[in-house]
Amino acid sequence: MSALLEIEDLRVTFRTRYGEVTALDSVSLQVNAGETLGIVGESGCGKSITALSVMGLIPSPPGKIAGGSIRLNGEELIGVSPARMRALRGSDVAMIFQEPMTSLNPVFTVGDQIAEAIMLHQKVSPDQAFRDAVALLDRVGIPSPDRRARDYPHQLSGGMRQRVMIAMAVSCRPKVLIADEPTTALDVTVQAQIFDLLNEIQRDFGAAIMLITHDMGAISEMADRVAVMYAGRVIETATADDVLDLPQHPYARGLIDCIPTLGRADHALKEIPGVVPPLHLLGKGCAFADRCAYKFDRCDAEKPLLTDHGRHPVACHGAEEGRI
Amino acid sequence: MSEPTSSEYVAESPAREAWRMYRRNLPAVAGAVILLAIVAATLYGSFFYAGDPFDIVWAPHEMPGVEPGFPLGTDYLGRDILAGLLTGGAPTLTVGLAAAAITMVIGVALGALAGYYGGWVDTLLMRVTEFFQVLPALLFAMVLVTLFSPSIWTIAAAIGVVSWPQTARLTRAEFLKIKELEYVTAARAIGARNKRIIWKVILPNAAAPLIVSATLTIGVAILFEAGLSFLGLGDPNQMSWGLMIGANREYILDAWWPVTFPGLAIFLTVFAVSLIGDGLNDAFNPKLRER
Repeated sequence: MSALLEIEDLRVTFRTRYGEVTALDSVSLQVNAGETLGIVGESGCGKSITALSVMGLIPSPPGKIAGGSIRLNGEELIGVSPARMRALRGSDVAMIFQEPMTSLNPVFTVGDQIAEAIMLHQKVSPDQAFRDAVALLDRVGIPSPDRRARDYPHQLSGGMRQRVMIAMAVSCRPKVLIADEPTTALDVTVQAQIFDLLNEIQRDFGAAIMLITHDMGAISEMADRVAVMYAGRVIETATADDVLDLPQHPYARGLIDCIPTLGRADHALKEIPGVVPPLHLLGKGCAFADRCAYKFDRCDAEKPLLTDHGRHPVACHGAEEGRI
Repeated sequence: MSEPTSSEYVAESPAREAWRMYRRNLPAVAGAVILLAIVAATLYGSFFYAGDPFDIVWAPHEMPGVEPGFPLGTDYLGRDILAGLLTGGAPTLTVGLAAAAITMVIGVALGALAGYYGGWVDTLLMRVTEFFQVLPALLFAMVLVTLFSPSIWTIAAAIGVVSWPQTARLTRAEFLKIKELEYVTAARAIGARNKRIIWKVILPNAAAPLIVSATLTIGVAILFEAGLSFLGLGDPNQMSWGLMIGANREYILDAWWPVTFPGLAIFLTVFAVSLIGDGLNDAFNPKLRER
């Protein structure tokens, strides 16, 4: 069975002053209809670039899709005409951005902005589009939507704005919804509400969700399957329960150890030493080797590939040889 | 003023809201009143105060307030100054508006394209802009006016052609800043095309400085027109404030009034336009609204 969204061997490069760096390297992901795929990793590991690649929004230049394929419903998106890509954006794939404060246009009312999104893809009158926008605001749980539709973004709270973004993203019933850290800028209580809303939306619309986050808590709440990314590669992928319970890659373990647990004062939070190496300094070995407690000779010599060593696919020599 | 609670919240169109904000701004309202008075006087003044401003009607250099028939006195040829002021305003204001319109159209279009697309489009357009910018504006305008026969339209075109680079640079800078913002990416992510992003997403957000710039341009264009007329390059068959000052400048030590009144008229007009510009800036900027 072919997945709704299939990314295969995607390679994205950026031209920088250090020369050409590879921001994404042989990334393969799949999302099925009605499923939520979580993509986790630190800042700079390629999560957002993956999302922007699917949307066809890699800033180019300096960015470039150097290889691989992205198929949406069987249709190849790489190399598709700009007009076709525009038609797909918003209607088939939509995106929710990280910062609800800055991703709404400040000079138009939120109702008008949602109506615009509707009119870009559907032949409806402006009045009808505005009524649809009000209905969508109601659907995403905004009280007195007919009044709020006439508000400007700055008159709404952060949580309300993120609801507006969600309303706009689902306005044309996209098949794939990409949520790029949708709750990072919000309070914890509001986060939970937004996750509930995304789950409801998914049930109603049957959309596949690609949830990008650095928060393992969000993964445990939302995701069916998880892909852990590091330095532009997918290093571990499995069902959410598998990754949370039996992480294999030392980096994935590190991420899980970073989740605070309530009521355990003795349990000091672990951190992963070091930072993601700059992409232009990646050697031929494992990108995580310098931060890894289990590092051995092979890690510096050879790049581990994503392979299944019994449990689920992981890219780690240590896991392959049973050292971890 | 307290913020309306949701129960008493009444939807208000943006234009109405801008007007409400504008009304609260006393200097801006004063500017609008002054400008309206000037426009009304130049449009309808000749109905109540007849007379050809070029006619020699009285002795030269009559003091203001001496002869009831000529409340603002007469100039060096004995022409009525009030008649000159009332008929000389229309061409001045027309040139100011038309020149500002030309400036905005050229400047915003080129600046928007350069800022949005970047790359070679930006390089090409900015070199062209710099070419126009390094030419001394007044001299260039003089050349253009002398090449074509002076009329208010050629003067407006000449002023527009020399003053757009500033607007283009301002527009480009705004576009460079705004195109990186997340809501532009968000607009692209819902499938908006470049044309729509330029005109309907970025331009409205750049409107506040551009509106202020446009109103200031009206003021500058009026001054420019006055300067050209003062130098004798205006339309000689068309009475204008600049022409009045230019014609009477040699006698300024003998008679102050033939140059002072048109000078005051120009000053008041430019001042009123600037006040309106500031008021519009505040009214159209939603971030300042709840202040």
